[in-house]
Amino acid sequence: MNVMSAPPRSDAPIRRPGRSRSRAELVIDAVLLLAVLAAIVLALTTHRFATVANAKAILTSASLVGIAALGLTLITIGGSAVSLAISPSVAAVGMIFLSAQSFGLVPALALAVLCGILITGVQGAIVGYAAANPVVLTIAASFAITGIATGVSGGSTVSPTGGGYDRLNATPGGVALSVYVLIGLALIVQWTLRRTGFGRSLYLIGENRRAARAAGLPVGRTTAVAWLAAGALFAVTAAFTAAFNTSANVNLGGTLTFDAIAAVLAGGTPIAGGRGSALRTLAGAVLIAAASDILLLRGSSTGVQILVKGVIVLVVVVLVHLRTEGSRA
Amino acid sequence: MKPPSFRRPEASLPVAALVLTIIAFVLIPTYTDTALSSFDVYNTLQIFARLGLLTLALGLTMIAGEFDLSVVGTYALGGMLTVQAGQQHWAWGLLAALGAGAAVGLLQGGLIARLKIPSMPVTLATYIALLGLTSALSGGLTKTYANVTVTLWVDQPVLTYFSPRSLITLGLFAAAAAVLSLSRWGRELRAIGGDRRAGRVAGVRVDRLIVGTFAASGVLSALGGSLLSFSLGSANPDPGVQPLIVAAAAALLGGVSLAGGRGHPLGLLGGILAVALLAEIVAVAAVPQYVSQLFFAGLLGIIVVIDAPDLHSALVRQRTRLRPSHHPRTSI
Repeated sequence: MNVMSAPPRSDAPIRRPGRSRSRAELVIDAVLLLAVLAAIVLALTTHRFATVANAKAILTSASLVGIAALGLTLITIGGSAVSLAISPSVAAVGMIFLSAQSFGLVPALALAVLCGILITGVQGAIVGYAAANPVVLTIAASFAITGIATGVSGGSTVSPTGGGYDRLNATPGGVALSVYVLIGLALIVQWTLRRTGFGRSLYLIGENRRAARAAGLPVGRTTAVAWLAAGALFAVTAAFTAAFNTSANVNLGGTLTFDAIAAVLAGGTPIAGGRGSALRTLAGAVLIAAASDILLLRGSSTGVQILVKGVIVLVVVVLVHLRTEGSRA
Repeated sequence: MKPPSFRRPEASLPVAALVLTIIAFVLIPTYTDTALSSFDVYNTLQIFARLGLLTLALGLTMIAGEFDLSVVGTYALGGMLTVQAGQQHWAWGLLAALGAGAAVGLLQGGLIARLKIPSMPVTLATYIALLGLTSALSGGLTKTYANVTVTLWVDQPVLTYFSPRSLITLGLFAAAAAVLSLSRWGRELRAIGGDRRAGRVAGVRVDRLIVGTFAASGVLSALGGSLLSFSLGSANPDPGVQPLIVAAAAALLGGVSLAGGRGHPLGLLGGILAVALLAEIVAVAAVPQYVSQLFFAGLLGIIVVIDAPDLHSALVRQRTRLRPSHHPRTSI
C-alpha cells in the first residue's frame, strides 16, 4: 500500500518559503512547549510522582516495551513501516527460552536470540528482496507463528525446565537488569544507525527505496539485516518477559505489538521511514510509561490509560508530520 | 465502477476463492461423518454477518489507497455504546453507535485528507484510543444487554437460511455495490487509490472523497459492532486483533489491492463469504483452531508475495530475457 511504504506524498501543495512556514513551526513549537509544561505541572502535583522509587517503576515498565521498540525502530527507519507480529514472536521465543532452561541460562539465551533472528529474519528477507507489503506480511506471520506455537505446545503453558532464568530478574543497584540492558542496547543501536555504513544506507533506503537502489545500495540485504537485528531485540524482550512471568504461553506477548509501535511513534519517528533514532524511541517509551504512571497514581482506570496512550500517539504523529512537511517544502 | 471483467484479479480472485470454498463446503460429508443441513448455511451467513461490515469498511478505505486500522476500535466502541445507551430502547443505542462511528470517521478522514498524513499511524493511534475509551466506558468489563426481544429478533431464521442480521449486512453490500457502480464515486475512489495526483488533476475532489470514505468506514464498523452486541446480548470491550486480521484477509481475497485503486464491493462480498464458509468448514470438521490459523497465514502469505512489486518486476525481467519478443508491459 503506497501510504505505508511509499515516500512522502508527491501531491503535497507547494508551500511558500519564508514567513508562513516559520510561523507554522513557531505555533507547533509553542504547542509542544505548553504541552510539556502542562505535563510537568501535572506530574509534580501528583502525589508520589517525583520520588526515586517511582522513577525506577517508570523505567522498569518502559524497559520491556522499549527493547522491542528499538527493534521496531530499525524496521521503521528502513522504510518497512511496522511489524504486526511482535507479540506472537515474543510469545514463541519466550516459550523456547523457558523450555531450554535445562541447558543453562547462556545457551538458552543464545537459542532464544537465534530463534528470534530466524522468525523475524525470514519476514525481513521477503520484505527486503521482494518488496512485499510488510504490514500484511506480518499479519500473516502473526497467524503462522501463533498457529505453530499452539500446535507444538498443544495450547498449554510452558514452565521453566531450570532456574537459570531467574538471574534476568536481578536488580543490581536497586534497578531492574532490563533497564540497564535497554539503555545499553539503545546506545548500541544509536551508534550503529549513525556511525556505520549499514545505518546510513538504512536511512537512505527508508527515505527513498528507488534512489537507494539506483545508487547501487544492497536494498534487499540491508532491509533483511535490519529485520534480523529487530528479531534479536524481540528475543531479548521475550527472555525478560518470560523470566518475569516465570511461565509462557501463546499470550505472553499481550499488547506488546501496539505498545512498541506507540513507543516508536510517540518518539517522533515517522512511519514512512528515513528518519528517527533509537534515542527518540527510548524517549517515546519513557514518555508513555510516565503518562501511564501519572494516570495510575491519580487513580485512573486501565481504559483511561490506554485512551491517553492513543491520544499521545495521535498528537505526536500529527505534530511530527506537520514539522517534517514544513521543513521539507 | 462497472463490475469488472472476469479476467482481472479483482474479479477472478474472489470468484476462485468462493468456488473453491463452496466445493469444499459441499464435499464436507465425504471427509467427515457429518451430513450437511440447512443450519450449516444459516450458520455460515451468521459468521458472514459478524465480520461482513468490518470487511466492507476496511475494503472501502483500501480501494481508496488508505488503510483503516481503527475499524476494530470503532467496532468495539459501537458494540459497547449499543449496549450502554440502548438499555431503554434499542434505537438509542444504535443511534449512539452510528453517531460515534461517523464522528470517528470524520475526524480521521479530516486529519488524513487535510494534513496529508499517512493513514496507518493515524488510524493506529485512533485504534488504541478507541479501545481505551471502550474499556473506560465499561470499566473493562463485558456488559450484558437486557433487551432479549431484540436479541431474539436479529438472529431469528428468515427463509430458512437468513437472519435479519445477515440480511442487513447483505443489503449494505448491495447498496455499496450499487452506489459505487452507478455513481461516479466508484470511479473516483479507484482513481484516487491508484494515483492520487492524477485523480486530483482529473478533477476529483480528493479531500471530500477521503473524508466520506472514512466516515462510511466508521459508520459501517460501528453498525457491525451494534449488530454483534444485539446478537450476543452483550458487549466485549476488547475484541482482540483477530477480527482485523480476518477482515484484512477477506478484503485481500476479495480482490482489493494493497497498493489501492482496485476492488469492488461485490468482490469484497465474495472474499468474506469465502472466509465465512472456511470458518464453518473448520467448525463442522472439528479441525483445531490453529490449523485454520495456519491456513489463513498461508493464504495471506501467498497473496502478499504474489502482490510484491519487486518480485513481480524480477519475474517480468526474467520473462523478457527468455523471450526477447515479449513486451513486458502487456504482462502486468
